[in-house]
Amino acid sequence: MRNYEKTIIGSTLLLLLLIMSLLYPYYGPKDFNHQVLVKNEQGDIIGRAPFPPSGQHLLGTNRNGEDMHWLLLYGAKFTLISAFGVALLRVFLGGIFGIFLSMWAPFLKGYVKDFFLTFRYIPSILIAILLMIPIVGDFNDVAVSSIVTYQIIILVFIGFPSVTIFASDVTDQLLQTSFVQSSKLMGAGKLHIVRKQLMPYIRSYGILFSVQQFISTLHITMQLGLFGMFLGGRNRAGVMGYEEPPKPATITNEWAGLIGQNFSEFVRAPWAILTPVFGFFIVIVIVNMMKNELEGNLNGVKVVKEKKKKDLSPKVAAYSADQFEFVQK
Amino acid sequence: MKRLFRGLIRLVLIVAGFLFIFNLPSLLGIGKDHIEINFERFWVNLTSDFQFLFQSNQDKYLEMLKKLHIVESYQYTMTILLSSLLFIIFLAMITAILIFLSPEKVKNKLKSGLNFFEGIPDLLIIFLFQFFVITLYKSTGLKFLQLYGLFGHKPYFVPIMTVSFLPFFLLLQFLIKIIDEEQYQQYVLYAKAKGMDRIRILLVHIMRNIFPLLILQLRTIVWILLSNIYLVEILFKISGFNQQLFKIIFMDGEFSVLVLCLLMLSFPLVVIETAGWFISKLIKGKGAVSI
Repeated sequence: MRNYEKTIIGSTLLLLLLIMSLLYPYYGPKDFNHQVLVKNEQGDIIGRAPFPPSGQHLLGTNRNGEDMHWLLLYGAKFTLISAFGVALLRVFLGGIFGIFLSMWAPFLKGYVKDFFLTFRYIPSILIAILLMIPIVGDFNDVAVSSIVTYQIIILVFIGFPSVTIFASDVTDQLLQTSFVQSSKLMGAGKLHIVRKQLMPYIRSYGILFSVQQFISTLHITMQLGLFGMFLGGRNRAGVMGYEEPPKPATITNEWAGLIGQNFSEFVRAPWAILTPVFGFFIVIVIVNMMKNELEGNLNGVKVVKEKKKKDLSPKVAAYSADQFEFVQK
Repeated sequence: MKRLFRGLIRLVLIVAGFLFIFNLPSLLGIGKDHIEINFERFWVNLTSDFQFLFQSNQDKYLEMLKKLHIVESYQYTMTILLSSLLFIIFLAMITAILIFLSPEKVKNKLKSGLNFFEGIPDLLIIFLFQFFVITLYKSTGLKFLQLYGLFGHKPYFVPIMTVSFLPFFLLLQFLIKIIDEEQYQQYVLYAKAKGMDRIRILLVHIMRNIFPLLILQLRTIVWILLSNIYLVEILFKISGFNQQLFKIIFMDGEFSVLVLCLLMLSFPLVVIETAGWFISKLIKGKGAVSI
């Protein structure tokens, strides 16, 4: 009944991308085929980066003359790992807090909702920008590790309220089911209910939530990249021809950073922006496919029960005319 | 009395939550190589922001708001929001009806095709629109589609199209789902049994019944529209409301001006929520009467 085909295929693909990205230093060119000027045999300059996609540069190059496909491959690990880590943290923390709210402190739920009401009315990208500006809004000389820690804390914080409230809603629904009720009547403690009755649901909902949060984290990092708030902070003088005043460049070459870094080149080199966005698109499509299947699996249990009920309704069979016979001929 | 007390607590919590969220950066200071938690600075900033909220320094605000052309840009942004909302509702309704009137095979294909649009990031759509308009201009030299909002231009057509693209598919998907569910309701079966034709059942009876659900769903649509408009204004350099907000954020403007602008931004959501609330109350009332 439950199938995980798409989930397995999707996660294998993502894992493959991640491994290829992690192993990049062993096979890829270190400078991403850095080449700014192209000269002919006489030594005249015949071309200058950015180059459009061609046989030599599969996805084109950016302003620095670096190949986009190598950059994408190199940066994939940062994008994937950070998004996945943030998603897991959100679900873990939010889930625990949500279950705690429903089980031990249901009276607090309304107040928690009020406390985080802001998130319901202001787009999360705005909140993210407001919170990121003091740290990543400008060039600074702080260690990358602390910047990344700060960014991850903020990203987790942004998703935390919605996960908490969602987890609490799901737990509330589960607490109304008959098996939990009867377990309660037989004297089960709250911890026992969580461990025995809710655990299977927590597992499958946890996976579903993580996948959803993964998508939303990808969206938000992509949009933050556009505003120059790259993962790992800004890098001075990373872009050719913009030495003074320095134009922010990404340190890690993660995808969102590539979008933000190349955005000003949109008219000259649209491929430098469209390729990372398409990269995001492909990852999101894969994850979305997994999400739909997982959701289908979760709903499948309910649907089967409903179908059984429907079968009980009186069957309407069709009778053909020759089955009837007039009583009085 | 008790209700009043509860309301007061809620109000305090909402304000506290708001202040907490916006002062988080001062709680989590950043050190040379680790994160510093600084309660003292957090508390100082929190109280000063709180004071800002309740200080009446109207002249200063008004001056700042005037300088940023808040009223005009708000009008512009809300025009875009409203027209794209109407556009989406109109188009989604028509498409949904057309899909339901089409043959079964085509209908199923279209439905599964719709699922594809779910995963597209909004940035991709915006970039593709931008790319399309630019190449159109480059290849034909015609400039009938205005993209950028430089020099005080306020384009309407391209932003509305760009912003409405994804929400349209979302609403269409939703409409198809609920109309599908409605097909097996008793009243539809009854109407069918009486020999009413499909178009009339769909247009008159089903539409009337899914209207409240549609209103409730509009909150999500407005929410997505708002964040899309934000991105579009920044990317197309249109000087709408969000662009001014962006300026306020980056120029480190007054906290209370920021709060005012955020309230203005969330106003459409409040309106649509109130509408949803009234309608759900109306339905509940009707249900009680019929029982």
